Amino acid sequence: MNSADLNPAGINLVACVKWAELRPEIDPLHGSVEASQRSSGFSSSDFAAVESALRLAQAWSDQGQVCVVTVLCAGPEDAEDSLRDFFAVGATRVVRVDLAEQRSSAQVAELLASALVPSQLNAQFVICGDVSSDRGSGSVPAYLAHHLGMQQALGLIGLESTDPGSLHATRRLDGGRRERLLLTAAAVISVEGSVATLRRSSLAATLAAKQKTVELRKQQIDWPTEVNRLRPWRPRARVLAPPAGDDALSRILELTGAQSGSTAARTLRLDPEQAAEAVLEQLAAWGYLDDSPPA
Amino acid sequence: MSTDSYPEISFETRMSSVEFRVHERAHITVDSKICADCSTRGCITACPANLFVSTADGGILFNYELCFECGTCYMVCNEEGAISWSYPEGGHGVVFHSS
Amino acid sequence: MTDFDVIVVGAGPAGAAAALEAARAGRSVCLLERGPYPGSKNMYGGVVYGRVLDSLIPNWWEEAPIQRWVTRRSTMLMTGDQAVTVDYRCSSWGEAPYNGATAFRPEFDAWLASKAEAAGAVLICSTTATGLLRDGTRVVGVRTDRPDGDLTAQVVICCDGVNSFLAKEAGLYPPSDPANYTLGVKETILLPREVIDERFAVRGDHGVDIEILGCTGEVPGGGFLYTNAESLAVGLVLSLPKLAACGRRPEEILAELKAHSAIAPLIEGGQVKEYSAHVIPEAGYKMMPELIGDGILVAGDAAAMCLAAGIWLEGVNFAIGSGAAAGQAAARAVQRRDTSSAGLQDYRRRLDSNFVMSDHRKLREAPHLVMSDLAQQQLPRIACGVMEQLFTVTNPDPKPGLRKIIRGQMKLNNLKLRDAISQGMKALRTFG
Ligand SMILES: Cc1cc2nc3c(=O)[nH]c(=O)nc-3n(C[C@H](O)[C@H](O)[C@H](O)COP(=O)(O)OP(=O)(O)OC[C@H]3O[C@@H](n4cnc5c(N)ncnc54)[C@H](O)[C@@H]3O)c2cc1C
Ligand code: SF4
Ligand code: SF4
Repeated sequence: MNSADLNPAGINLVACVKWAELRPEIDPLHGSVEASQRSSGFSSSDFAAVESALRLAQAWSDQGQVCVVTVLCAGPEDAEDSLRDFFAVGATRVVRVDLAEQRSSAQVAELLASALVPSQLNAQFVICGDVSSDRGSGSVPAYLAHHLGMQQALGLIGLESTDPGSLHATRRLDGGRRERLLLTAAAVISVEGSVATLRRSSLAATLAAKQKTVELRKQQIDWPTEVNRLRPWRPRARVLAPPAGDDALSRILELTGAQSGSTAARTLRLDPEQAAEAVLEQLAAWGYLDDSPPA
Repeated sequence: MSTDSYPEISFETRMSSVEFRVHERAHITVDSKICADCSTRGCITACPANLFVSTADGGILFNYELCFECGTCYMVCNEEGAISWSYPEGGHGVVFHSS
Repeated sequence: MTDFDVIVVGAGPAGAAAALEAARAGRSVCLLERGPYPGSKNMYGGVVYGRVLDSLIPNWWEEAPIQRWVTRRSTMLMTGDQAVTVDYRCSSWGEAPYNGATAFRPEFDAWLASKAEAAGAVLICSTTATGLLRDGTRVVGVRTDRPDGDLTAQVVICCDGVNSFLAKEAGLYPPSDPANYTLGVKETILLPREVIDERFAVRGDHGVDIEILGCTGEVPGGGFLYTNAESLAVGLVLSLPKLAACGRRPEEILAELKAHSAIAPLIEGGQVKEYSAHVIPEAGYKMMPELIGDGILVAGDAAAMCLAAGIWLEGVNFAIGSGAAAGQAAARAVQRRDTSSAGLQDYRRRLDSNFVMSDHRKLREAPHLVMSDLAQQQLPRIACGVMEQLFTVTNPDPKPGLRKIIRGQMKLNNLKLRDAISQGMKALRTFG
């Protein structure tokens, strides 16, 4: 990157957006979630983050500050077309950190932070959406603040610029109360979708944006190999006929088998092969190995 | 085979299978005062999204949100000026995926 | 200086083809679409006929996003509890260069528009054209709903679909008559691939197209059932004024079709993935607007170039055919610096010399015929009645003769021999 881009004297605002499945299509036949470019996009709170950045930049520019708004996304190539649209609303730069697969919030934040540090985007204000629409936890901004060593104000419901480089933020508290914060650089903030609606880009800007390029960063981070939780295999649930019985009590007795004689435990001493056979036999007798539903 | 083996879904379930990116501006408005004089009420039967509802005072209650933007209503409408019809703001409204 | 040589409004099949051809001819082209992506606003029955693509995109079948190739085509005549089906199978339709294919419009239209983009057209989505810019009678561009949204061009091609407010604004349409339009409603129903293969007796990427007459009760129209890879498309086409007057809602009539003994076993157990609706310009040739004005051309559904005549339900191919012709004609006119109505007449010539106009002219009576009482009510009842009598074993009574059965059924359904012959001749003239 060109160091002139760093805007050392001015204020760099970076809006972080997440490319997410907005309307996940769960295939009822296989139960798999299908991601498609056409049903993916950015959440309303991410749009609010971009709009907030643009408004702050506008306000501070009017007061004589040089402000640069950058939109940053850690996401796949599919996101590129939609990211380009941020040029049309007024972003100066759009940067994509290549990330093809789903990662934990901590890892995404690490990736984003690597692009935000002073030697890179040199962000004074990082503005995120409060939670992503694909069941996000809203923890990315918190991790970011930690990585960047910035203050944080998360889940904001209102933003107002004051003097250049400082702003009033409103946060919801329990019991219908509000908290007003005065924030100065450097800070990570996250906003709710209701804070602002992204402006509609003019036709000329939309046409011009088609020619712009999204900057691509490839960041090599050696993630530790993830170990999925291990647990014993459990046979899948079976469909059982509803218990017979005229009243609730007898049905419960029937269901739990409380008063019927239970099968006595047996201890078998066998070779491994025979033991395996016996286990399979017993499982089959209980109906676990049969995939077709019991009659 | 009878209908029992293929239970018909409710209208709400039917409409919930469709994505609508609702814009805050109503792209269709209905002037209920004009509808009060309408005897045919074709919109109520023909609108595939079932968005026209009779009100007790003889008017029409209309909600624009879950609209296919098909044009049926203004074509079957009987009274000049009852329906003001336009497309929603670009990028909003119905979005099909598997049709 | 205009912003572009050509503006195409609407990235459906007509618009994509127009933009593709104009861009290929070296013109600067802007393709406007109001949906968030091409195809997002579009639904149809389900079959595209690709022959028209051969000359535009060689070997299109290797890349087009299709669901199944139609190798089995049935026409079904039904009454409340009976059905007669004529079933045609053709395995050569399942091999290149193919005939028809089922496809999802959001995928197909997006693909076709991407071809136009690759040829150099600029695609702008999420942008509605709200009106025309004019200089006197001459169209010089469009107004869009974006801030500072005016865009100028030497030719505007309206491919904005059946409601075409732009063609109406340009004064190219006479006042519209709802009787010229039908409403299409459809359910996309999910079923596993193997189940579809079994139920419809097809394998691999082969599929079925069923057109149905007699399933719409008192409302003139028709039904269809198509196979996608892992879903079915079941829907109806219903005459607008009759639907509005009949007191029954479209989804009720659709539910009846789905419950019919000839259809229920085919769709049983499926889940509705998407419900959709759209209007069709049913009357074809007879409702076509003026196609050419000063600086403006109209193509596809916007020009009512949809052939919806019972056993035919074709619009995408006509849209592509007319759109491509409009794109070529516009490019030529721009090059010759005459984009007046006279300079754009080449469009008309191109349409007249290919299938678009000759099919529409030949079949101009077909929509009316197919929507007539004879085709809608009497024909299905007579066909089913004849079959029932022919194949019901009445021992010990002797079998009745076929002629007697037919005469009896015609009488039962109030069809006079004279009318049958005259209508039959008319049908021959129309379709022959
Ligand atoms: C129920 C039904 C079943 C059908 N079955 C078949 C079939 O099986 N096979 C077949 O070949 N055809 C079928 N058709 C017909 C076919 O769908 C149409 O003929 C075809 O889509 C016409 O293409 P088009 O490009 O002219 O218009 P459309 O496909 O309607 O495209 C118009 C485009 O313009 C855009 N647009 C409209 N207004 C504006 C504006 N103001 N600004 C910007 N963009 C705008 C729309 O969003 C849309 O993308 C069927 C139609 C229906 C309704
Ligand atoms: S048909 Fe028109 S005038 Fe009549 S009730 Fe419906 S909207 Fe109102
Ligand atoms: S455009 Fe179609 S779906 Fe929308 S209100 Fe009118 S009839 Fe209903």
